[in-house]
Formats: sequence, structure tokens, C-alpha cells
Amino acid sequence: MSKNPDISAPPIQDEPPRVSLWELIFFFGLIGLTSFGGGLTAYIRRLAVTQKGWLTDEEFFSALAIVQILPGARVVGISVYIGNHLRGLVGATVALLSIMTPPFILVSCLGLLYFHYGENTDSKALLAGVTAVACGLMASMVFEAGQKSIRGLFDVMMILITFLLVRLAHLHVQYVILLLGPIAIWWHRPRPDKKDGAPEQKEAVS
Amino acid sequence: MIQTFGHLVALFMILSISAFGGGKVVLPTLQEQAVNHYHWMTNQQFVDLFGISIIDGPSMMVVTLVGLKACMQYGYVIAILGALVATVAMFLPSSILVLIVGRFWDSWKTSPWHESIQRGMMPISTGLILAAAYIIARHSIHTIPTAIMGLVALCLMLFTKLNPVIMIVAAAGISWVFLR
Repeated sequence: MSKNPDISAPPIQDEPPRVSLWELIFFFGLIGLTSFGGGLTAYIRRLAVTQKGWLTDEEFFSALAIVQILPGARVVGISVYIGNHLRGLVGATVALLSIMTPPFILVSCLGLLYFHYGENTDSKALLAGVTAVACGLMASMVFEAGQKSIRGLFDVMMILITFLLVRLAHLHVQYVILLLGPIAIWWHRPRPDKKDGAPEQKEAVS
Repeated sequence: MIQTFGHLVALFMILSISAFGGGKVVLPTLQEQAVNHYHWMTNQQFVDLFGISIIDGPSMMVVTLVGLKACMQYGYVIAILGALVATVAMFLPSSILVLIVGRFWDSWKTSPWHESIQRGMMPISTGLILAAAYIIARHSIHTIPTAIMGLVALCLMLFTKLNPVIMIVAAAGISWVFLR
């Protein structure tokens, strides 16, 4: 990271603070242990930006912007970004491992219990409630995602076409994205009349 | 065994870089592949595992359990290894992508296409999440009590800030008492 160690210049503002790997392990391990889906980005921001000062608010939102347009779980992406920001590739690896290990162990244990006891009536009754709540949670995510994405008739049509392609045509998610992604992005392309920046060349959608 | 590992890696690496809008968008394809294509589990098991997986971790910890189940026939040790393989294959590619894009981000940050991508992809994510919710609903809401529990959970999620883990634990308790 340090390109010129012999020059003892005062640290530039952009330079991230020195953070030990143990601290990273503890930080992301705790998040991994207590994490569930949404709302966690706000939690990470409060801890990493406000409390620890590991990165500025601007850097955090820049990271969030990257993660939001990339595939993958947002919390994982943010963690990898912060790890990389603080300690480079090692930090990113440590962050990823730390945030994934607690849920991996917990969920695997529950899975083993399920396959061991899943067929008896007690666990069947228990799981009926769990899956019903899981269904409610998924439905609430539909509402939240819908609220964020619908700004016009085109967006509603996109939602419906996606749903139908997946349900009726059984198209796989990667093909849905390759097929509809460019169309939808092109539809929402930057217009010169809306923003002063001239449209640049089309970005590749991975 | 090696073949199963290979299937897991191939499937989850593709799903990893397709998960625009979070892990849950790949759920319909995951179900289709795990249940109908590879016959690793039944629909009911898939939905059960999804319910278990949301207790902790980022969305789509269900991949861990799909890996576990896919390799269960080879014994518990291999099953855990399968869970590990699936988890790495799901979360590593998207993480590498974050690092790569993060490197080039500064020259890209001001591009107006950034918002276009976000606004364009979001309705597609919504459609995929809708399809995922449909699959879960079909295999979790069998009876009136489960329908009520699902609705209550939905309302609590939309109108309160109650932690979902509390809801899951409470629902497990309630249904164990009343539905047994």
C-alpha cells in the first residue's frame, strides 16, 4: 500500500486508517453473526463510518453505489469493499471470510438438524410456521422492490415480463438479465435534456 | 461426488454474477435447477431449507443448504464440504467483481449510465423477487393458519421494524404448539 515509505509526509486525507486484521475479523464476524437481509447497510455505515471512522460517508456511499449495480448480496459486497479499502486484498479476503463464517456454521448446523429430524411431526409443525413467515418476508421484499423500481408504465411492464418469462417460459435468471437488461438500461439511458452530461458509449452488462 | 461438486460450482458461479438486486433474485432458477433438473430435493424441502436459511446471514444462505443436500448422499462430511463449495461458488465471483469494479470506479463514477443501470435493472429484480415469492408461497401456504401467519409477517415487515429473526422464532413456536 505505502508507495514511498521513506517520505514522512503527513497522511493524505484519502489514506484509510491502519486497522488490524483481528479488528476486521471481529467487526465483520459480528455482522455475520447478527445479519439478516435488509437494514444492515445502515448498521454497517453507523459502525464503520460514524463510530470507527474507517471510511468517510462519501466513500461509503460510493461503495454502496458500486454494490447496488453489481450482482450479489449487498452486505457482502460492502464488506468486501471496506476490507479492501482498509487492508487491500488481504483485508477483502478477511472481511469476506469473517462475514460468511458465522452464518455458514449456523445455517449448516440447522440444515443437518433438518435432514436428521425433518421428517418427524414436531419439526414439520415447526417448519410450517417458519416457511409461512419466510413467505411473508419475501412478499414484503416484493413490495419494497416494487416501490423502488416503479416510476412508470415501462417499469410495470418489465416486472410482469420478467415474472412471466421466469414462471411460464422457465427462463433462467442469467438469460432474463441478458435479454431484458440491455433493453431496460437503454430505455432509462441518460437523456441530454434531463442531464447536462452527454450520453457516453453504452456500458457492457455482464 | 466430484460430478456433484462440479454441478454446484457451475450453477452457483453463474447465479453469483446474475444476482442483480441481491441473492434472492436467483431463487426461481435455483429452485428449478435443484428440484427439477438435478433432483437434489423436493419442492417442499427446498422451501423448508429456504425458511431455515433466512435465520442468519446475507440473503441466499439457502445456497449453503442446497450444497449440503446435494452432497448428503455421500455422508455428512462430504455434505459439509458440498455446502462449503456451494457457498464459495456463490459469494466469491460477485465479491471479485466488487474489487474489479471498485478499482475502475473513479473514472466511472460520474457516468450518467450508472443511474440508467440501476433504474433499468431494478424492475427486473422486482419481477424475479415476485417469481421467488410465488414459489415460496405455493409450497408454504397450505392451510388457513399458515396463510394468516404469512400475512401477519408481511404486515409486520411492512409496518414495523420488528426483527425478522424474532418473527421466525415466534412463528416456529406458535406453529409447533398449534399445528402439531
